[in-house]
Amino acid sequence: MRPIHLFDITSQHNQWLANRQSLIASNIANANTTGYQAADLKPFEEVLKATKLEMTTTAPGHMLPDPPTSAASADKRAGSTWDIVHSGNSVTLEKELMKAGEVNSAYSLNTSVIKSFERMMLTASRAV
Amino acid sequence: MFDPLAASVRVAGSGLQAQSHRVRIVSENLANYDSTGNTPGANPYTRKTISFGAELDRALGATVVRIKRIDFDHTPYPVQRDPSHPAADANGMVKHPNVNMLTELADIREANRSYEANLQVVKQARAMIGMTIDLMRSS
Repeated sequence: MRPIHLFDITSQHNQWLANRQSLIASNIANANTTGYQAADLKPFEEVLKATKLEMTTTAPGHMLPDPPTSAASADKRAGSTWDIVHSGNSVTLEKELMKAGEVNSAYSLNTSVIKSFERMMLTASRAV
Repeated sequence: MFDPLAASVRVAGSGLQAQSHRVRIVSENLANYDSTGNTPGANPYTRKTISFGAELDRALGATVVRIKRIDFDHTPYPVQRDPSHPAADANGMVKHPNVNMLTELADIREANRSYEANLQVVKQARAMIGMTIDLMRSS
């Protein structure tokens, strides 16, 4: 039986969402900091596209590539701002809270998917 | 690497701390709205200002907010004629604090909004941690 790829993708997506939540927290905490530029992660689709096909290790000397959602590859880019303020700060609280809501619902979707798949697998194994 | 969700809670905590400090400064300004000097020609209370700075917390791997400096507002003091006041100078003019109540109230309102936003982040991060823990719960 082939390993189920879905758990891997959902947990990677969750990792990406957690990193995004931490960036959103930084943006909101610095909402009144002079000259602070809001940061965001690359969309997950881009991260997924940039991921090469997984290579198997056939010899003990082979090294595994970095996971795509590690902090090293989490490059920040300034999101376009909604309003321009005198202090040069580009954080919009409403926008950040909207992003946080998106992250929250995507995270809950992922965990529900994992849960229902796990239930499915349990049912299958019980049937044997 | 630190857990990003726990890091968000810490970052939001630094935001809460910064905003509550801001409320403290505003309340100091408002409380001293009428604090004049006691000797002739003495300077009254000077309005305080607070500014924040972004700082990378290396242990956390996230950008937190810190109080950069607490400064004094250098706008000139408004003067009022009141010869009977102990702080009146030779011309009978008394210097009053350069605190503007409208500015302070706008500032405290903004601090309030930012505080709410930070609290919301803490709530959501905790909800996300809770969802992950619920995965282990047998339904």
